[in-house]
Amino acid sequence: MADVIIRSFGDYYAPVEGEALPDVRALAKETLGKQVRRVGRFILLGLVGAARCVGAHAPPAHTAIYLSSRRGDLETNVEVMEDLFARGLAPKPLSFINTVSNASCYYVARHFGLHGRSLFVSGVCFSFEAALQAALLDFEAGQVRSALVGGLDTLIEPLAIERRRLGLAAEAPVAEASHWLWLETGQAQPGDLVLEASEAFPDRAALIAWLQARGTEKTTLAQGQYLDDAAFAAIAAQANLPRSFRYRDGRAYYDGQAGAALSAFAASDLDGAALTHINADPDGRYAAFVARKV
Amino acid sequence: MKRSAFLGAGVHTALGAGLAQNIEALFAAPPKAREAALQVGAEEVRVPALLLAERPLDDIEARFWRAAEAVVGQAIAAAGLTQDEVRQAAFLIGTSSLDIAVSEAIYQRELNEGADAHPLTSNSTMGRLAQRLRQAHGIAGPEYTICTACTASANALLYADQLVQSGRVQHAIVVGVEIFNQITALGFHGLELLAKDGMKPFDSARGGLTLGESCAALVIGQTRADGFHLRGGANLCDIHGISAANPDGSTVADVIRLALADAQLTPDQINGVKAHGTASLMNDEAEAAGMALVFETAPPICALKPFIGHTFGACGVTELILFCGMIERGFFPATPGVCAEPSDLGVRLEQKPLPIAPGVFQLNFFGFGGNNTSLVIANG
Repeated sequence: MADVIIRSFGDYYAPVEGEALPDVRALAKETLGKQVRRVGRFILLGLVGAARCVGAHAPPAHTAIYLSSRRGDLETNVEVMEDLFARGLAPKPLSFINTVSNASCYYVARHFGLHGRSLFVSGVCFSFEAALQAALLDFEAGQVRSALVGGLDTLIEPLAIERRRLGLAAEAPVAEASHWLWLETGQAQPGDLVLEASEAFPDRAALIAWLQARGTEKTTLAQGQYLDDAAFAAIAAQANLPRSFRYRDGRAYYDGQAGAALSAFAASDLDGAALTHINADPDGRYAAFVARKV
Repeated sequence: MKRSAFLGAGVHTALGAGLAQNIEALFAAPPKAREAALQVGAEEVRVPALLLAERPLDDIEARFWRAAEAVVGQAIAAAGLTQDEVRQAAFLIGTSSLDIAVSEAIYQRELNEGADAHPLTSNSTMGRLAQRLRQAHGIAGPEYTICTACTASANALLYADQLVQSGRVQHAIVVGVEIFNQITALGFHGLELLAKDGMKPFDSARGGLTLGESCAALVIGQTRADGFHLRGGANLCDIHGISAANPDGSTVADVIRLALADAQLTPDQINGVKAHGTASLMNDEAEAAGMALVFETAPPICALKPFIGHTFGACGVTELILFCGMIERGFFPATPGVCAEPSDLGVRLEQKPLPIAPGVFQLNFFGFGGNNTSLVIANG
């Protein structure tokens, strides 16, 4: 199989100041060059992240979309539930249609004129990792040659209730984020960043065995947000991988921080290195993805 | 060219709890839907629904979990997986509405209790349903919750197959779940897409859809000599509209052709088609036009939603299991009383189960968000 090259990144990260969410409608209009009407911030921020990722380029029409999110379009679902149960109002047709979280995939595809595969995938701790894996499966099978992979987390007001939903303390800093990668197959050139793997493991022993089998030369580990410090240190020691890369320091809370790892790595001065990002869930399962600078 | 084999199934629909009951019911006429009464403010709205057999619409929080957990257990038992095989298996759920019925019940209860109630505070994590089902069965492999509306569990099968074929796992458990919930029911009511008199896909007298409930699970694994297996498949995004495929049939034809190419087959090699068949004018038009563009001579066409309702995200795995069960019994499904003569769309459905030999079949699914999926399966 040809290399899967990360052609570009698009990041939106916005820690919330105070208790009011920023207006994303104006940002979307500025980014997209036109108004997108009758959609909420989940769809708008999906479009903003994807547009930043492709920049001035036009993705080929066969480009696939893989969007991940832990909570999906919560804003639309909450609005519909409040209307129905608290206010006695039936769902509005477009609001109802937009309760499906893959509506965001549709708007991205429509904006860029894409007709390829379209997938929305979620997981408790490995949403972004699952999207990367699904994309790699399609690349490996020869089904896809160009793909946009996104991780998207939005908030709704009041933030006090959002923090309850997220299991956070009352004053915990929170953020919205939309992280995207544009992947393409090809022969990697010096300076390219290549996505090599995205794998899941039933337990730590399987992860360690996989890390050891990949070899340790120039490998740097990144700690995913659901993996605690002690477990990360133990894995690094067992796999004999002492180098680590920190990309989450100072970030306010959002669910899909794994989506920020690769662009942070690309922007770092870790030349000639491979980044292995590892994450964990409460059941003792693990997920890892690997990117290498050529 | 063979892909993953279908090793065992569990299913619970309006036709019954268990595969045998479901298949037996497909030899009779489609059941009559019952009406579920919902309250919207001061107004009572009655919606047609084919609800899970033997699971009355009460104790919403419990009925959902019991039904979903049971079908996963049925599929694992039918496939004969060992405990270690179950632990290593991938677990993929396709669903449109997740466990929103449970969240609705909790929110309503909290509102009634006068609490400081807000929606989705008990759970806002989409993967919680898969996590809970996976934990209940001791599964520790890769886990996907796929939400692509009515193609969700068909897409879950495509990725499950790729996980198996790539060697990442030996087995995958693919689940489709759709449980009656008020948002979906009233959403389709608001779109004026609910039928008053049963689902009649492709029929000139079509009147829309009936809400269906289903929990279905399929275990797949490496190819085996006999039985059904996946032969190919495709998924494409249709940007004509968010709620319906292009009525000229072009995008439907694209995904059907791509699935055939993936299966290395030509249209004339298809022995039968299971249509999506939602009985909405826009879907039926697009689907009929798409099939006409691909098939010079139409193979037998069937639609299963008249029997179980539209089970949305669950329809991929549910209808696949029912279709395979019928073909394994030697019959192509019929829908007595529906589309007996070629309709205004030029489609005719069988009126009696049609004796059929093992062969190659195509199953089509289309969903909100412009999501179109086609599967090609084969036996023998």
